[in-house]
Amino acid sequence: MSQPRNVLLLIGSPRITGSNSYVIGKFLVDKLGEKGLVSEEEFATRLVNTREGTERLLKSVDNADVIVLATPLYVDSFPSPTIKAMELIYEHRKTMLPTKQQLLVTIINSGFPEKEHMDIAIKIIRNFAQASNFMWGGGIRVGWGMALNSKPLNEKGGMTRKLTRGLSLASHDLSTGQPISEEAEELASTLFIPLFLAKTMTRLFGKRGWNKLAKENNVKAKMYDRPYDLNRQEKGTESALRGKSETQNKADTQIDQGNWRKT
Amino acid sequence: MKAVIFNGAKEDDPAIKAIEKTIADQLTKEKWEVEPLELRDMNIANCTGCFGCWVKTPGTCVIDDEGRETTRKAFQSDLLVWLSPVTFGGYSSELKKALDRIIPILLPYFQIYHGQIHHEMRYKKYPKLLVIGVQEPGENYEETFMALAERNMLNFRPPTHAACVFQRGKKPETIPAFVKEQLKKMEVVS
Repeated sequence: MSQPRNVLLLIGSPRITGSNSYVIGKFLVDKLGEKGLVSEEEFATRLVNTREGTERLLKSVDNADVIVLATPLYVDSFPSPTIKAMELIYEHRKTMLPTKQQLLVTIINSGFPEKEHMDIAIKIIRNFAQASNFMWGGGIRVGWGMALNSKPLNEKGGMTRKLTRGLSLASHDLSTGQPISEEAEELASTLFIPLFLAKTMTRLFGKRGWNKLAKENNVKAKMYDRPYDLNRQEKGTESALRGKSETQNKADTQIDQGNWRKT
Repeated sequence: MKAVIFNGAKEDDPAIKAIEKTIADQLTKEKWEVEPLELRDMNIANCTGCFGCWVKTPGTCVIDDEGRETTRKAFQSDLLVWLSPVTFGGYSSELKKALDRIIPILLPYFQIYHGQIHHEMRYKKYPKLLVIGVQEPGENYEETFMALAERNMLNFRPPTHAACVFQRGKKPETIPAFVKEQLKKMEVVS
């Protein structure tokens, strides 16, 4: 592939610029800017539901030499607008004869610390790239999004050292028209602390974080509510009926964990 | 007993419609009440990722539209069916817009399940879950699609589940046997 000139950052998060997808993708695209590439930013949520937006999306994709699709993991794949963007791009390109080689690279981020949660999502984007005549540029899996908190990566110090080093390596590869190396993929996808520690901290601090937000909204006592519970609906309000403390509800949940039957 | 079908077709899709109708017919014979939901015709906004369903109105999405109703109906059914064209190995944007809105049936808190971090369950009992993809001839995304459905099972933990792919272009008369096989797996028909 010849030297790329234009890079498109396509954000799949509905949280737009206030998302981890944006801060990670922006870091990579800024690095490419330092190497002389001209960048453009688009947001799937803003484009996919109108004809004008769709035309703009497709024009931006056609113009780019490198496309960076940065998206969060939603229910094991992507938010609906990201999928809609992929559907539109595929329909547009499936009958087109390619006029140039274009690299498609993806960055997926998730709140879970294990990068394996994102493996299927990477496969789906790779399938999309192949079907839509893009050259596969690689996939970065960023776990434990709570640690980033949608802040610019260079403000997070040592927490993002591996990620930023991996993205810098990736920018070097992409700027020369090459897919990102396995080394860059792995480095950018590696947590800054051991996984077992991240898992423990997720359970401890994750709960505190959610409870803090609930407290700010005066709903901490309702966190375990079951508004769609059929029995509850027949009898009355949640707090009157449940007759159980949060602790008891939590105990119910834990007891149930091992009881699900699979075929 | 009640079944809810999420029809995730992107447009008028005879194969998906035929599978939906066959599921409804076979379950109705067994005295089930069946409600198909044509998602593309419904007013379901995209999830905004605000987490309000966890920390503002716990258990209910903050967006008051048909997406809230689809989640309620899905959760209160005995059998939930997800029908979708196989889309690069995943679900269509139409099915996914409803699935993105379903997360209030989980808790925000984390737990270890099958060795990995997942969300805790909000409820004690969830509906059985059947996932059916319809794939274009010549596509080979079945493995990815099945793996995605299997990941979903770890998050929604239905008491019984199955996932399968129907190849578009097969003769329509093969659909009843295909559907019956899936419903048998779900232990809802004999």
